[in-house]
Amino acid sequence: MFLSTIVLGFINSIILALVALGFNLTFGISGVANFAYGGLYVFAGLTAWIFINIVKLPYIVSILLSIAATSLFGALIYRFILQRVRGIELSEVIATFGIGLAVLELFRYLGFYGFEYTLPVMFEGSINLFVVTVSIQRVMIVIIGIALAGGIWFFTHHTKIGLAFRGIAQDEYTALTLGIDSDFIATLSVAFGSTIAAISAVAIFPLGTISIEQGYVVLINALAVSIVGGLGSTGGLIIAAFIIGYLQTFTSAYIDTQWVMFVPPLIILAVLALKPSGLFGKQKELEERV
Amino acid sequence: MLQVKNLMVFFENALALNELTLTVEKGEIIGLIGSNSAGKTTFMNSISGLIIEKQLRENRRRGERITIYGEIIFQDTDITLMKPAKRVKMGIVLARERHPIFPESDVLENLKIASYLKKRKEWKKTLADIYNIFPVLYDLRNRKAGFLSGGEQQMLAIGMALIVQPDLLLLDEPLLGLSPHFQSVLVEAIVNLRKEFGITIILSEQFARPVLPIIDRGYIIENGMLTLTDTGEALMNNPEIKTAYFGI
Repeated sequence: MFLSTIVLGFINSIILALVALGFNLTFGISGVANFAYGGLYVFAGLTAWIFINIVKLPYIVSILLSIAATSLFGALIYRFILQRVRGIELSEVIATFGIGLAVLELFRYLGFYGFEYTLPVMFEGSINLFVVTVSIQRVMIVIIGIALAGGIWFFTHHTKIGLAFRGIAQDEYTALTLGIDSDFIATLSVAFGSTIAAISAVAIFPLGTISIEQGYVVLINALAVSIVGGLGSTGGLIIAAFIIGYLQTFTSAYIDTQWVMFVPPLIILAVLALKPSGLFGKQKELEERV
Repeated sequence: MLQVKNLMVFFENALALNELTLTVEKGEIIGLIGSNSAGKTTFMNSISGLIIEKQLRENRRRGERITIYGEIIFQDTDITLMKPAKRVKMGIVLARERHPIFPESDVLENLKIASYLKKRKEWKKTLADIYNIFPVLYDLRNRKAGFLSGGEQQMLAIGMALIVQPDLLLLDEPLLGLSPHFQSVLVEAIVNLRKEFGITIILSEQFARPVLPIIDRGYIIENGMLTLTDTGEALMNNPEIKTAYFGI
């Protein structure tokens, strides 16, 4: 029991990290709020479903098209809505949250809920890990999660565009004086965040059905992981994902499954009360010192 | 190199720059001397294009109305309404006032972010030059920029501007809030910039004493208007300037 909880907790933690990576790239690293994240996540899942089941495209083509469509959707959200309220943080949050709500509830209105909405797994089969049997899909999620986390760290530390992401978050006008077109970089940031939302959606949805509620759950989870880890810190995000992931898995194994949903909001409250910059937050550390 | 003709800038109905006309020749160091709210920063923002970006943002949120009249001509191109990123590519780079740096990145990373428009090879070469001018930056390269002193931050800010390899460098109050020691270090470095790289420099200051000896020509700006212009030396000996801007 204990050992299997450890293995399942590990996978659950990577799933959380994967979901939070895109949110953190946009909101944490480049400082552009994207609370439509849950909406984009479900959008990616359902467009992939539509490409596979209605347009009847091959699996891999559908997945790629859905990832591309979600990224484009993210870019359009920035260009047509976020750009107008850029710099007024509360408006950014409200506008993007509203878009997320609209997307999710539109899908519900159109009848996209039920057990037939599932995505196929990438690879069939399962393997034995120590004491538990784990499907290959879950192993794939772990691999994708680790690869993406490493990729994002490299991207934000060693590529010009990635460094520019961190530049516009810290001081937009200084970035402008250095020739960084901040609107262009912010568009890319929302688009890349959406790409990661889409990748995690097509990797994670095959584990269950595509449900509208997942959109809300994903947003809360991503928010919890980012806040606990400290906005902007990729390493902190991974550790936070493990803390929350294991807390959830142990809660479900030793207390009761219904309490799992309480873990993210409670831990957000606890962190905001005790260390508002997050456990490993670099972003606001300086401001708190002053 | 740079011609400004009848430049006027309004914030709503307030006049920030009034019929401002000046010329800068290649290789000159020009001083813009004026007190608080005289229009120095607005002038710098107009040349660097930040004002266009501010105008765009205010328009988007239906905020303050910024109006610009007149002409700014840089190397025979009218840049009055050009976006800042384009002007940077043309060679105009501004180091804003109050040492603008990226506080949460370390010094080396600040210089990396600044190299957005440059190729990696060029960046490495310019980096070596910058470490030569400001050896302190090399010693502090792994320190978080927010933890540096004001003088060190100002050196970093100038270093970041130099990474872009400007033809025209705009320094907005580079000496603001620095100790006399750092002031003299910076003044010396500014002179060296022209000597070694042939960069044309416009610098604005409230406190004229440390900068007048190094500038070729100076403009005195009051309430958005240029009231006096002369060589640095002549301004040094002008009794009115002494009482107004020397802090005696």
